[in-house]
Amino acid sequence: MTTPDDPMPDFSDVQGGSSSSAPPPATQTYTVKAGDSLSKIAKQLYGDANAWRKIFQANTDKIKNPDLIHPGQVLTIPPA
Amino acid sequence: MIVHARRWSVIVAALAGAAVACKKAPPPPPPEAPPAAVPLSVSSVTLGKAVGADKSVAQALTTFGTRDTIYASVATVGSASSATIAAVWTFQTGQVVLADTQAIAPTGPAHTEFHISKPSGWPVGKYKVSISLDGALAGAQDFEVKR
Repeated sequence: MTTPDDPMPDFSDVQGGSSSSAPPPATQTYTVKAGDSLSKIAKQLYGDANAWRKIFQANTDKIKNPDLIHPGQVLTIPPA
Repeated sequence: MIVHARRWSVIVAALAGAAVACKKAPPPPPPEAPPAAVPLSVSSVTLGKAVGADKSVAQALTTFGTRDTIYASVATVGSASSATIAAVWTFQTGQVVLADTQAIAPTGPAHTEFHISKPSGWPVGKYKVSISLDGALAGAQDFEVKR
């Protein structure tokens, strides 16, 4: 465990999640985080990494290269 | 002459009665306009170690242990066809611990929870979770991790 004296502790193993009592919109959005890839996002949101193409096709205005997405990009996530 | 005057008064009274009878009933009041939609806003951010089925925190806390899962429950009011709530968890140094988003389409009061855990244990110190709604800062909550 990191001590309080460590000026830059390691948070790489932090796990997180979210949920809501409100229904999701017809089309969701997802903000790209560091380390994300389209297949990783597809796995997380659809449970199927191969569904990355669906996300790519919904975001061709923002993504030119499916292997290159940037933290902070807000992607449109079509319904599963 | 008196009889004649009485006859006229009877006729006048009858005409007046007829006029009242013919008067149209007042139009019904227009139907009430539906209440204007309340724009979505964040009403509170509450921290705790657990949330219920409604995603609200039962016991609010601002101090946690190094092995705790930390929940931030964001209460919202209003409605939106699509909105994004974002939570950014930061350490006292400003270092980002985790950032997460949740897309919602609430039709009334709702709770959205964000949670973080660290299997290897949280560094002790002060933290903050900042909540934004569609990119605009909407609330924040400080907390501390102690041994």
